[in-house]
Amino acid sequence: MSNNDNDIILASATSLSTLTINDISKDGFGYNPSVGPQSNNITQETSNYLLSKRTTSITSPNSIYDKSIINKKTNEISLSSLSFLFCEIVNWCHKSSKGIQDLETRLNGLGYTVGQKYIELIKLREGFKTNKREIKIIEMLQFIHGIFWKSIFGKTANELEQSQDVSNEYMIIDNSPLMSKFISIPKEYGELNCSAFIAGIIEGALDSSGFFANVTAHSMAIPGFPLRTVFLIKFDESLSIRESLRR
Amino acid sequence: MSKSSNNRYNGDDIWKNNTEKINSELFTLTYGSIVSQLCRDFNHNYHEVNNQLDKMGYNIGLRLIEEFLAKTGVGRCSTFKETVEVISKLGFKIFLNITPQIENWSSDNKSCSLILPDPNPLTEFVELPNLKDAEILKELWYSQILCGVLRGALQMVQLDVDVNFVKDTLRGDDKTEIRLKLNKFLKDEVPAGED
Amino acid sequence: MSSYYFTIIGTRDNPLYEVEFSSFKPSSSSSSSAISSSSAGSNQPHIPGKSQFTPKVREILPFIANSSLDIIEDSQWSTNQFNLGRIDSFYGLLVNAFITQGNIKFILCYDNPSNASSSQKYDENLIRQFFIDVNDLYVKCLLNPFYSVNDAIISSDFDLKVKLLARKYL
Repeated sequence: MSNNDNDIILASATSLSTLTINDISKDGFGYNPSVGPQSNNITQETSNYLLSKRTTSITSPNSIYDKSIINKKTNEISLSSLSFLFCEIVNWCHKSSKGIQDLETRLNGLGYTVGQKYIELIKLREGFKTNKREIKIIEMLQFIHGIFWKSIFGKTANELEQSQDVSNEYMIIDNSPLMSKFISIPKEYGELNCSAFIAGIIEGALDSSGFFANVTAHSMAIPGFPLRTVFLIKFDESLSIRESLRR
Repeated sequence: MSKSSNNRYNGDDIWKNNTEKINSELFTLTYGSIVSQLCRDFNHNYHEVNNQLDKMGYNIGLRLIEEFLAKTGVGRCSTFKETVEVISKLGFKIFLNITPQIENWSSDNKSCSLILPDPNPLTEFVELPNLKDAEILKELWYSQILCGVLRGALQMVQLDVDVNFVKDTLRGDDKTEIRLKLNKFLKDEVPAGED
Repeated sequence: MSSYYFTIIGTRDNPLYEVEFSSFKPSSSSSSSAISSSSAGSNQPHIPGKSQFTPKVREILPFIANSSLDIIEDSQWSTNQFNLGRIDSFYGLLVNAFITQGNIKFILCYDNPSNASSSQKYDENLIRQFFIDVNDLYVKCLLNPFYSVNDAIISSDFDLKVKLLARKYL
């Protein structure tokens, strides 16, 4: 393989402490990518553990893998808490960015990781009822505009439109997006659109589903809806080719 | 205080009727995204990550207290014990929909512990990388932002309080424990935000 | 008794997780001879769950999984199923695959089940169930803020839970 992707270790929190060939698991479980499937081969000891009547998680009695994420009744929390947190996130991103454009890019990037994770969670929860992967642009957009939006923000988005001028451009419109509601943006941030974070969530969800797109947020107030926001989705040209092949 | 003494510190009504709510998962994932971003920004120096989370919390606390007082109508507490009870039953309840246990009072009634339920809305999906010699397990206080929030909010009501995590189930401890220690009552002055 | 090689492949065709195992089910009379023959020549006691692939097969397993990626990518945009079922066979090894909404691929390579055709449908169903439950585990792993898409999955508990699913279904 000639691409460098395999050599680059992405700057994620775990990657900096990747395992080496000499790291041997202390509990007999855990995959080590430097060693391959030999690293987590089943031994007499782990076999006994797997066959014992009461096998418990290793790291803690309350491991994330023990909790149901499908049937769980989702907890609620105060919207203000998210709003306060988000303000501080904006402050932090602002401090480390070179300008408003850069700040929006950073917010977009944070949202992106949230979108990558959320899409799999929501599909997992929904999947057993409908058992359907989204493979068409329009259906994917309807999913984002509907179920995805509702799971995250508690309501579906208001409109879903296709651009009249450009064939691979679509718009999802929210009359009062959650993030903007409580955030009063300090004047020095000028034109900052905090919905860049939400745009990032959408982009992350679309990209990981194989619908490569660029998503940007634009304030477009109309009477009665001062916070109305248009999320402009520009799909990669290759997608329409992919769809035309399968039609 | 005009409310009857029974439900003086009962946040249920405020939570039910006077709080706009959202799905906690968006909050959990958003908080997770900033913590892991900070780990990258500080090149995995977890002491600095803790510090930054604490500062962010402090700034939140300075502003959050206003909404808190407006919603609850709580007046000045006469003892630190009363204050901590308000924090648990009203503060945590109406902002995070949890009610930590209060334990382990010192004999001078100036220190105590808040025991957070497990999981809480910050830690719901979190597993710290369980690697050999992982610094992160020993150094990162994942929910440190809460300490900052308490410190900031209490400062706004003229209480100088040290707030620290001493245990965290994410590290494998038996519980998640925040220790509060009252240093002194402050004179009326408005503290500045921290950068 | 079948041996299995299971791998999770990321969006850049990079392996995120691998595991080898064999069926934990108590061997039926018909397959007991298979065990004794496979462990013949070695004095090792039989360990339940330990894969019985020969070294030669073991070597090519990752390549079989990798070569089936082309088939998966082909059906990726033509079927809207998560479970792709049996997609390939190779020198007596069968290959089943599953794909998540986030385009993470699950691939299971296994040698021919002992009592072939009658139980095939049953096996397919169990494999499907195994994939669905691994999908659940994968999402739990993904939701962790310290895990990013395409990172290797090194959590001990993840490994443990996958093996428990193997024991339960396969």
